[in-house]
Amino acid sequence: MKIFDRLRPAVINGLRELQANKVRSLLSMSGIILGVASLVAMVTVVQGMVGNFRQFVDAMGGIEKIAVDRQTLPKEQEHLAELSEGITLRDVDQIRATIPLIRNISPEVRVGWEKVVYEGREAITLILGCTPDYLPVAKRWIDPGQGRFISDLDILHRTDVVILGSSIAADLFPPNVDPLGKVIRVKGKRFTVVGLLNNIEGAGMQIRSGNSKGGGGMWRWRNSGVFIPVTTATSKFTGNDHLTGLGLRIADANDLQHTVDQVERSLLQMHHGLKDFNISTNEETLESFKKTESAFKLSLGGVAAISLFIGGIGIMNVMLASINERIREIGVRKAVGARGSDLFLQFLAEAAVISVMGGVIGLSVSMGIVWLMNYILTQAIPTQAVATLDWKIMAQGLGFSVIVGLVAGVYPALRAAKLDPIEALRHE
Amino acid sequence: MGSLVAIRGLHKAYHMGDETVHALDGVDLDFDRGEYIAILGPSGSGKSTLMHILGFMDQPTSGSIIFEGEEVSSLGADRRAWYRSNRVGFVFQSFNLLPRLTVLENVALPLLYREDSDREANEAAAKHALERVGMLHRLEHRPSQLSGGERQRVAIARAIVGKPSIVFADEPTGNLDVKNVDRILDLLGSLLAEGITVIVVTHDLGVAARARRIITMRAGKVQEDRRQ
Repeated sequence: MKIFDRLRPAVINGLRELQANKVRSLLSMSGIILGVASLVAMVTVVQGMVGNFRQFVDAMGGIEKIAVDRQTLPKEQEHLAELSEGITLRDVDQIRATIPLIRNISPEVRVGWEKVVYEGREAITLILGCTPDYLPVAKRWIDPGQGRFISDLDILHRTDVVILGSSIAADLFPPNVDPLGKVIRVKGKRFTVVGLLNNIEGAGMQIRSGNSKGGGGMWRWRNSGVFIPVTTATSKFTGNDHLTGLGLRIADANDLQHTVDQVERSLLQMHHGLKDFNISTNEETLESFKKTESAFKLSLGGVAAISLFIGGIGIMNVMLASINERIREIGVRKAVGARGSDLFLQFLAEAAVISVMGGVIGLSVSMGIVWLMNYILTQAIPTQAVATLDWKIMAQGLGFSVIVGLVAGVYPALRAAKLDPIEALRHE
Repeated sequence: MGSLVAIRGLHKAYHMGDETVHALDGVDLDFDRGEYIAILGPSGSGKSTLMHILGFMDQPTSGSIIFEGEEVSSLGADRRAWYRSNRVGFVFQSFNLLPRLTVLENVALPLLYREDSDREANEAAAKHALERVGMLHRLEHRPSQLSGGERQRVAIARAIVGKPSIVFADEPTGNLDVKNVDRILDLLGSLLAEGITVIVVTHDLGVAARARRIITMRAGKVQEDRRQ
């Protein structure tokens, strides 16, 4: 038996019923429409969100980065404070010597938020003492023609050179002045500008505001800051050899946990067992993003599942009502030779047609939702489209609606198939 | 004319609560090809039950039916559907055309459920049947746009589209005005020439008078079987 030949008239008949009962069909579709729309919009938006998280984490140095920060001692160790000298360059040497998994290590001294001045123009920004390794650890660089970064010689000679973040350069210097070689005052002391750090344009995300030079929006903080040799920072500003933190980059993200353990052991040993540091990784950030993601998926997925379920009940309800109205039709069809299976197929096809139509409408609604959410998000945060519709997700949404329609149609279709033709013909 | 159906000892019992109703209580009948038969009788006499069983819509409780040489008294539901689609046609008092389908689609409906259903062939056969009843000019109309007489002609076209051996007409003129009664009865009578057996179930003596053989039913039994 050619199932296709039997399906064709069944589907045509379903479409005809749909057309004949437009309002009722639309009402019965509403659950499916809502379910498919929320399902597709949810998956799309969550996927877009996760994509943005990844970019964000990457801009933070990627998941191969480990950050070690100074931390006050836990209460039970407070009385031992003088035993440890905090994080110092000796820790750097120790780590470099004992942990080969670490590719780059960047000692950092946060001098603090201070005033930088050039010919009456000023800005307040973070002053960071660091070494040449800062660049690979932070995944930053200096574009050709924009000078150089801190060199080993700068570290050795504690030179008074400074590298500016692009937004600080824009704040301090008029557009027609080349900052390179100019002398600025950093916390009152004279420094020569030798380089400009690359401008972050959102690591793949477009920054909308074109007027503020050096970028803006949520990435602005990444383009601010001034950088001086770490030895200059300790000798000129902080007056001791304490570092505020270390940035470590490992070669392979798979070694992350392993390396974190080694760093912790090594530092504890150097610090006589005192936990005056905190080790963090972007993996934790990513993890928390993932938790947010699954929370979103769970709640929105629940909404979608419930609406699909209700959609199924709606279809079943309408199908049962429709069969009740068409008992005579069923009788006539049986009288002229329709088998139970023919009527089963006919009513199942009708339910499927309703659900597919609902699914298609739901997909177009989901496009609207995604567009709206993108619109709102780009208004709130100056980033480009956060989510794009994926045909795979849309196909899945449609697939779900078909399944719901078929499942919901089985019981009514069975009832139609089992009706006794004589009884059905007598029905008024 | 050869024998079409032979019924022996046909019983049909319904259980209504504790009571058993014998709708057919030992019926023996023979029908030939091309016979024009009227089955008369009051309500509850068993004439409708007889028509339903002969029309493959129902099964007897006991007894034998030889239809075209085959025992058909205990066929399964799908097999009975096959006979309905291939061997019998029904004409109802209330026409029973499907309101959403066009005239052409209504007439082609029985062919849709055949194994060898083919759209173009079905349409051609339906047009042929409509031509036979003089309704070729109304192909794309809906039943609601037709008069009662026209509807019944369409219903007759539907009954004969599958080239059946028997056409059952259940009070075919019950909903028609006088002018149309004759026309429909003439039409039914003309089917005999094609070798179709026509069985009219009625309690209208005028309608029954057209038939060459009148069977009167009472209380589930054949009371009288008269040829004229």
